[in-house]
Amino acid sequence: MNKLEERMETQKLLEGHNAALNSSGSTTTVTDEEWTDDSSSSSCSGSDSTIPEWEPYVDDFTGELLYIECHPFVVQNKDTKMKNTVSEPLARTNLRRSTRGKFLKLLRRRDSRRKSKKNQKSIDLSDTNTSKVKFQELQEGEEKEVMLEIDAENRHNLSSDKSLAESLLGLIVSTLSDGNRVMIAGFCYDSKARQERNIKIGDWLKSINNIEVNVQNLDDILQKFINRDDVLLKLQRVAGVEVTKDPPINELNIESDFVRELLNSRSEEEHNLSQLLCGQPVGVVYINMDNLKESNQNYEDVVYCFPKPAQKNLLATSRGMFITINHLLFDLTKSRPKVSSLKCHGQLANVVFTNFNKKILLLMLPDNKASKEEILLINNEIIRFLQFSYENLDNCFTSEKYLPQVSHFFFKLFARSLSDGQWSTAEQFQALENAELKKCHPQFEDAMPVAPSLCLPYEAQIQIDDALSELEASDYRDWNEEPLDCQRLFTILGSAIFHAGYLLATHFMHEDLIDVFCFCKHQGLFHLSKTEPVKSLVLWKEVFPSSCRIQNSSIKIPSGKRYLLVVESGKDILAVIMEAGGCTEPAEGNMGPDAFYVEEAQATLAHFQELGLSELAERLLTLEPHPQIIKPFPQYNKRRSDLLNFSRTGSSSIKDLTNLPKKSEVTSILKKRSVDMNVIPQLSLNSQEDSLDGQSEESGSQGGYSEISDDSRRNFKKDLKYDSFDEESDTDEYGEGSHISVASFDVSEMRQYILSEIDDFQPPRLTTGPENILYHYVQLDLSQGILLCPPESKYPTPTYNFIINCFRRISLKIHSLFQNTVRFKNMPPQDIATSVMNKSLVAIKEHGILFECPFLDEDGKKSKIKYWVLGRLFYMPHPKELYVCYRDGIPQNLIEMAFKINMRAVY
Amino acid sequence: MCTYIICGTSGGGLPLFSRKKGNSETLPFSIVGSLNGIHMFGKPLGIEILETLTDDYAVCWREFEDSIILIGVASGCSVEVLNQLLEEIFNTIVLVVGIKELKTQRNIERLKRELRLCLPVIDRLLDSLDSGDANNQHASDIVGFVETTMCQENHLIQTVLDSFSESVDSSFCCVLIDGKISAATESWWSLHPVELRLLSFLAVSENTTDSKDFPVFLPYKSPTVAFRFVVCLLVPNVQICCLCGLTPTLQEIEHSVKQCFKNSTDLLTAAKNYSPNFNVDTNILGHLLINITAKKYVMSKSLQQSAKKSNAGNSHRIDILRTFFYRAVVAHLVDDSDDENVGLETYWCSEYHKCHAVRTNDNVLCVLYNSTVPTHALNGITEKTLRALVSDKQVCW
Repeated sequence: MNKLEERMETQKLLEGHNAALNSSGSTTTVTDEEWTDDSSSSSCSGSDSTIPEWEPYVDDFTGELLYIECHPFVVQNKDTKMKNTVSEPLARTNLRRSTRGKFLKLLRRRDSRRKSKKNQKSIDLSDTNTSKVKFQELQEGEEKEVMLEIDAENRHNLSSDKSLAESLLGLIVSTLSDGNRVMIAGFCYDSKARQERNIKIGDWLKSINNIEVNVQNLDDILQKFINRDDVLLKLQRVAGVEVTKDPPINELNIESDFVRELLNSRSEEEHNLSQLLCGQPVGVVYINMDNLKESNQNYEDVVYCFPKPAQKNLLATSRGMFITINHLLFDLTKSRPKVSSLKCHGQLANVVFTNFNKKILLLMLPDNKASKEEILLINNEIIRFLQFSYENLDNCFTSEKYLPQVSHFFFKLFARSLSDGQWSTAEQFQALENAELKKCHPQFEDAMPVAPSLCLPYEAQIQIDDALSELEASDYRDWNEEPLDCQRLFTILGSAIFHAGYLLATHFMHEDLIDVFCFCKHQGLFHLSKTEPVKSLVLWKEVFPSSCRIQNSSIKIPSGKRYLLVVESGKDILAVIMEAGGCTEPAEGNMGPDAFYVEEAQATLAHFQELGLSELAERLLTLEPHPQIIKPFPQYNKRRSDLLNFSRTGSSSIKDLTNLPKKSEVTSILKKRSVDMNVIPQLSLNSQEDSLDGQSEESGSQGGYSEISDDSRRNFKKDLKYDSFDEESDTDEYGEGSHISVASFDVSEMRQYILSEIDDFQPPRLTTGPENILYHYVQLDLSQGILLCPPESKYPTPTYNFIINCFRRISLKIHSLFQNTVRFKNMPPQDIATSVMNKSLVAIKEHGILFECPFLDEDGKKSKIKYWVLGRLFYMPHPKELYVCYRDGIPQNLIEMAFKINMRAVY
Repeated sequence: MCTYIICGTSGGGLPLFSRKKGNSETLPFSIVGSLNGIHMFGKPLGIEILETLTDDYAVCWREFEDSIILIGVASGCSVEVLNQLLEEIFNTIVLVVGIKELKTQRNIERLKRELRLCLPVIDRLLDSLDSGDANNQHASDIVGFVETTMCQENHLIQTVLDSFSESVDSSFCCVLIDGKISAATESWWSLHPVELRLLSFLAVSENTTDSKDFPVFLPYKSPTVAFRFVVCLLVPNVQICCLCGLTPTLQEIEHSVKQCFKNSTDLLTAAKNYSPNFNVDTNILGHLLINITAKKYVMSKSLQQSAKKSNAGNSHRIDILRTFFYRAVVAHLVDDSDDENVGLETYWCSEYHKCHAVRTNDNVLCVLYNSTVPTHALNGITEKTLRALVSDKQVCW
C-alpha cells in the first residue's frame, strides 16, 4: 500500500510540475496539426514536441552536427575562462519537417509505449528539484543597467562560428536552466564587456534597449541594433540561497578546453599556429600531376597543402623531388615508393607516398615522432579517415566547404604527433613548441587499424547484441496499431558500442568498423570519453563507409547516402551508420539528423547503461592489476623454500597479486570501487532520461528529473542510486505478447545478474607454469579490425613502461617482418617467379627476442629482468597476429596462448 | 634480384662508375642522371634525401666527404645493410686512391682510371647483400664482419705465421685460405674490421695465381699515407699477406714465404676443409659463429646433412642464416649501443626451417635448424654447440 500511495503522489507532483513547465510557455512549439490529436491523449506532449537540445547546432548547409553537453561535475582541465557551446541559439519552430509528419506521429507513440513497457520510469522528485523550479520563477536578484559599446570592427565582420552577441557585444551567452532566458556565460577575449564590472557571468540578460529578450528573439533584436553605437542592457543578478545548493549556474555549461576546440575550430589561432608548424618537418601535400609544367612558379599543381601557405611549406617547395622519385622508381623497379627518409635542416624526417592515379599525396613527419613503420600506419589511417568522411581525396581537397574542416584535422594531427600523441589544445601546443623535441614512445597497437575490444561475460554480450539488434531492426509494428503506410527514412547498416574507447560489441562489417573506429579516434571522441565523460554528445555526419565504396561491379551498392550517428553519454559511445536511399525513402540532400533516430540511439545507450553494462565494462577496465598480466618485479635468487615468501620482499602490489587467491582479490577491489563509482551511474541515468524525452530545458539542470507517460497504469518510483533495485516485476506484461525480449525482463534484475556475473568472470591465465609471468599481450586481427589486449595500466612502474616501450618497438618490427609472409601468400602464383622478394622471409610465422634490462623501480635496483618479446602470425582462417611479452622462465607456446585469449572472444 | 651502384662526383654530378649485379638491364643514362638529380635538387632547400623504400627495393643516397656521392638500389635486402655496403664501397675507394685524391679531384679522368682497380672488390662486396638468391657464390659474406676459417690446425699455422712475421720484419701478416683469414698476427687483428675485410677481398680479386704488390691507403688507420700490400701465393687458394714499408722487396718476401711455410703446405691444404669434431646435433643445418669485438665470423658449410644435398641448396641455407643474421640478430644481439636493454637470444620459425641465435659474452652463435625441432629445445642445443665451439683451445677462436 505504501508503494501505491507513493506512486499516486508522484504522479500528482509530476502533473503539477508539467503544468508549471507548460505554463511558463517556454518551448511548447507544437505547430504540426498532426501532432495535436496525440498530445490530447498524452500529458507529456509538451516534452515530446520540444526541440531536442542539439537541434540548434545542426549545420543548415551540410546537415552536420556535433553537439556536446558537458557534465558540470566531471570537468577536467578546468579553465578559468568559461565559454558556452551556444554559437547560434536560433529557435526552429518547425523542427520536424512536415513531410515526416506521419512517420513521426507513429514514432512518437511508439516512444511513449516503449517507456512504459521497459518499465523505465525513473522518476525522481527530490526536494531540490522542485525548489529549483520555484527559485527560477520567483527569486529575483538585484537589477543592473549597463551601457555597452557595440564593437564597430566586428559589425560587418560577422563570422558564422560566432553568435551575434559574441561579435557585437563581446558577450558569450547561454540559457538559464529554463532554456529560455538568456544568461551571460562568458566574455570574448578582449571585449569591452569584459572590463564592465557590472556584467557578471551568470547574470540574466533581461532586455536590450528596453526590449525584453529571450533565446529566440535575441538575434533578431541584436540585428536591429547592429548599426547603433551603444546599447542599454538590463541585467539581473540571479543569485540567491538556492544557487549554492546546486552548483553555481555559471558552471553548468562549463567545458574543458578540449571540448571547446572540438566544437569550434578557431581558424585565426590555427592560422598563427600553422606558421609555427612551417618551421617543423611536418606537412601534407596533394599534387595533381596533370598540372605539372616545366615552369611551375605558382604551385598550380598543388591541390592542397598544409601548413599553408605553399611557399613556406617545405614539402610543397620540394615536391619536385618527390614527384621525380615517384615516377623514377616506378620506371626502375616497377613498384611504387612507399616511404622516403631525409634530413631536413639537420632533422631526420620521413615522407610517405600515396598514389591515386594521376594524383599523389605526400605526408611528412619527423622521424623522432614517427618512424618509417609508424608513418606508414599513420598515413593509412589518415587516408581511411578522409575517405570515410569525404568519399575520396579529390572531394576532400577540392570542395570549398570541407577545406576548413580538413585543415583543422591536419592541424590537430600535426599538433598531436609533435606533442607525442597527446591531445593538446592550441594553447598547450604553443607552449610545447618551445620544448625540446625528443624521441617519443613507440606506437604499436595504437597506430594499427584495429579497435581495442573488451570481452564481456556471455550474458552481457547477449544483452548488448540484443539491444543493438533491436535498434538496427527498426521494427515498429508493435508500437503502432495501424499498418505502416510510409517508408522509413533510414535503414541501419550497422552499429557498435564503445566504452572509454574499448569496443564492446559491433554489428558493423569489418571494414566499416575500422572506418568508424578510425573516425572516432581522429575526431578525439575516444579521448573525450576516456578523459572527461560528457553528459551527452550527438554527432551526425554524412560518411562514405568502405563497404559502400567498393568498385566491384559484381556487388551492387544501392545509391543513396550514408550517415554516421554517434551518441555518447558518460564514457559510452554508440555509433550507428544509417543509409538513406535503397529501400528507404529517397535520400534528400544534406539531411540533418532526425530527432527520432537520435532518440532511439540515445534510448539504446540508456538501456545499455541501465542494464549495468557500462558499469560492468568500467569495472573490467579498472581491475588493477589486471588478472591476466603482472607487473615486473625484481627476481631474487629464489630457492624452493623462498618461493612461498618471496613476494614479501617485492613491492606490495605484487604481494596481493601472487599470494592472494584470485577470487577474493577481485571482489575486494570491486567492493572498494563501488563507492566511488556512484557518480557515473547517476550521470548515465540522467542523460538517459534526457534522451528519452528530449526535454531540453531540463538537460542543463542537476540531479533528478521528472516525466510522466501516457500509459499511466503503472508508475514506478525508482531510486536513482544504482545499488537499489526495483522490486516490482512486470509479470502482467507477458500477456501482451511483447516481441521485444528485453522488455519482458525486469531490467534491474538483469542488471543485478549481469553485475554479479563479473565475480565468476575470471579470464583464464594465459601462461603455463606455477606463476603468472605475462607482462603484456596484443592480438591483432587486422581483417576484422579487432584488437585484444589488457587495458592500459593506471599505475605503471618505470620498469613496466620501459619493458612495454621495448615491446611496442620490437612488435612493430616483427609485424613488418610478417608482412612479407602475408604478401607472399597473397601473391598470384604467376608473379612468384618474377618477384624479387627475399625468399628467406616468405614463410616466417614466429619471431622472438629475449632481452635483459635492469630493474628501474626504487626498490630492487641492481637486479635484472629477462623478458621475451614474441610475435606469431596465424594465417588460417584469416591472418591474425599475436604479440606477447613475458618474463623469461618457462617456455610458452604461442598457439596455446592464442587459444586461451580467443576462448573468451565472441567475434 | 638486382643491385645497382652508381658513383658520381657530388659537385658536378659527373659519373665515376656504375656497377650492377643480377640479370637486369644496365641503367639508362637518364635514370642515372635523375637519381643523382634528386639528391642535388634538395641541397639548396636544406633537404638531404637519404633513402626510399618500395615493397621490395631499397634506394640509398650517401654523400661522402662532400666529394663523391654513392647511390645504391637493391632488392630483397634491408636498407640498413645497403647503407653499410655503400660505406664499405666508399672505403674501398679510399683504400685504392686515398682520401686526398678523392677530395681534390683534380683530374676526373685519372680518378676514373684509378677507380678501375677497386671495381673487382666492389663487385665482390655486392655479394654481401642478402636477397634470397640461391645461386650466390659468396653467400657467406657479411657486411661489416670479416670471415675466418676454423680448424684444428689453426694454432700450428699461427706459430708458423709468427716466425714469418719476424723474418719479413712486418707485424701485419696473415694467412688467407679461400680468401678467409686462417691465422693473423695480433697487429693484423688490430686493424679495423672493414680494412681486414677489404684487404682479404683485394687479395683474392682478379688473378690469384701471382704475387701482388701494390700501395693501399688504410681507410681508418692511414687514409693519407700508403702502405705496401704484398700477397704471395703459397699453394692454390692459400695466400700469405703482409703490410710493409718500402723494404723488403717482393722477391725477399716471396723467399721468406717459401722458407717459413715449406714444411706446412700439407697442413694448409688440409686445413681448408673445415671439419668440426664436436658432436653436432643432427638437426643443425648450418651455423654462424660471430665474435662481436673482433667482428670476425665463421660460417659452416659442410655438416652431415649437406653432403647429400646439392651445392645450391647448401648456399641457400647459408643465405637463410645470413638473412636471419641481418634482420634479427644484428639489431638486437650485436649492436651494443643500447646498453640498458641487452638482447640475449632470438629465433624465428618459418614453415621450412627455424633459426636461433644465442649470445654469451662476445660470442653469438646463429644456428639453422630443421623445422621439426621443437622451439623450446632450440636454446639448449644452440648453447651446447656454442660452448663446444668456443671452448676448443686448438681452434684459436
